Amino acid sequence: MSHLNEHSIAGAPGEMQITERELAHMTADLADAHADSLPQMREAVEEWTAQHSAGSTPNSPLARTFTRRRALALGGLAAGGIALAACSSSSGSTTPTTGGAGATSGKAAAGAVPTDVRVAALAASLENLAVGTYGAGLAAAGAGKLGTVPPAVATFAKSAIAQHKEHAAAWNAILANAGFARVTGVDTAVKPIVDSAFAKVTNVTGLAQLALLLENVAAATYLNGLTVVSSKEAVATAASIQPVEMQHVAILRFVLGEYPVPSAFASVSGARPVSDYPRLAKA
Amino acid sequence: MSTTDPGARLEDLLEESSDIHSDAMRTTGVVLSEIVDTGKERRSAEPVDLDERRAVGEHLAGTAGRLSPGVLPPGALAAGVGLAAAFGAGLLALSAQAALAGTPGDIQLLQTQASIENLAVATYGVALGLPFIGGASAVPVVKAFVTQTKAQHAQHAAAFNSAIKTLGGTQQMSPDPVLLKIVDAAKPGLTGPGAVVKLALELENGAAETYVKNVSAFADSASKQLTASIMGVEAQHVSVLLAVQALVSAGAASDITLPPPVATLPAAAGSVGFPNSFYSTTLARPAAEGAVS
Repeated sequence: MSHLNEHSIAGAPGEMQITERELAHMTADLADAHADSLPQMREAVEEWTAQHSAGSTPNSPLARTFTRRRALALGGLAAGGIALAACSSSSGSTTPTTGGAGATSGKAAAGAVPTDVRVAALAASLENLAVGTYGAGLAAAGAGKLGTVPPAVATFAKSAIAQHKEHAAAWNAILANAGFARVTGVDTAVKPIVDSAFAKVTNVTGLAQLALLLENVAAATYLNGLTVVSSKEAVATAASIQPVEMQHVAILRFVLGEYPVPSAFASVSGARPVSDYPRLAKA
Repeated sequence: MSTTDPGARLEDLLEESSDIHSDAMRTTGVVLSEIVDTGKERRSAEPVDLDERRAVGEHLAGTAGRLSPGVLPPGALAAGVGLAAAFGAGLLALSAQAALAGTPGDIQLLQTQASIENLAVATYGVALGLPFIGGASAVPVVKAFVTQTKAQHAQHAAAFNSAIKTLGGTQQMSPDPVLLKIVDAAKPGLTGPGAVVKLALELENGAAETYVKNVSAFADSASKQLTASIMGVEAQHVSVLLAVQALVSAGAASDITLPPPVATLPAAAGSVGFPNSFYSTTLARPAAEGAVS
């Protein structure tokens, strides 16, 4: 059965009520710290927007001609990742997420779409996929399909959902302010793989392994994306999110009994290409 | 998620980590090669990216003046340097490929980053000398984490110094002088795991936030990418330390195992390791704080 109520630990045999209170207090402190970080992020988004709105003139950051390195890096993105190299663009979803790659409103974007915008759309679609997958996991747990769900795992999933929603919102704010439709759909190349894996999940360990895959993909995509985005605000946005995805990875690995920080350097293996989200539309 | 011999299981996991690390190192090697390419391109008078230069200038503006580098506690850095040297031999070989045009802003950033790593190596070294961290009374997982984390910081220092050398700068082998004072002031109070974890958190957060900020400031894309490949790792160190801190504070140090007793952990333990949706930069160190005079 599930224990999705984080307060359900109280009274359970062998569990620590005092510890729970103390940790809840610490979590509240950390929530305050998080609130402090949000204004910085909004400021970055506003700066990015101001730059972008300033023009698509040839001298604007978004209109810069690619350097050879950026072109090579984008080629790397296009090459896709290792873990999900076999992804197809077919759908057939079972995970309850909202919309697909085409789930944007408005008319299709005319002409070349700036790379920063394409990366923002890809990022939003991956974040949406994470939200949908964690949500599906919690729903399955609530329905008793995953066996006993430890309170800490439920809290992890809920917190991760909240953070991924904020990440998606940050990227969508950039898209909206740049004149593009918000991305409410998911990465349709990755989604079939997730759906297939999710269908086989029967317990918390399986769900954690699937979440670990998604978090690794997100972290790698952001790291790779940092090589192709050109405005400093887009860089700052990706840079402020990538470490958080890495933190999700560390905790998931820990929960799975794996060493939480396996490498001194983050990898771009598994990074998704911008072609995963090809259909951007003007707002 | 189960094990019969925790010690053997931990060794297996560290071996597995080495395999993953090797994969990441291939990426890092590519990044360092890009640094070499960058220098070559600059020597051939590639047009300067004025927007990126401006970003560096803004980043450097308002930072403290250069400070005299401090001195590490005797012997504390030796082990770290040894590890870094072993790791860095291949990377440093890249440096010989080109003598490069200097990028003062980037070099300062890299030197400060190397100084932070040097201090982390030294501090974890001090921690390992404490009986409750590296001795008989230590929690095995904590000891393993401190040992592994120290080695990772040595690798970061070696990578940053390799990049500095490749860009034509002076390698930074000393610790961040401002943070060193904080560490020195904290040393007498390191009488239990909680104090050590608190100090380590301060250093790790300082490192992570510095790198998150610096990623936006680098003119050189390969230096940016190298730094980006490390910032998330420091954030992971933070996550582990936050979880350990929570359990130690709650008197539940016995729950610090690998795997942890997930079923009995308090609910709040599930989110204590990643408190913010966006990584802050409020604790970022000034760009020139650890620059070589």
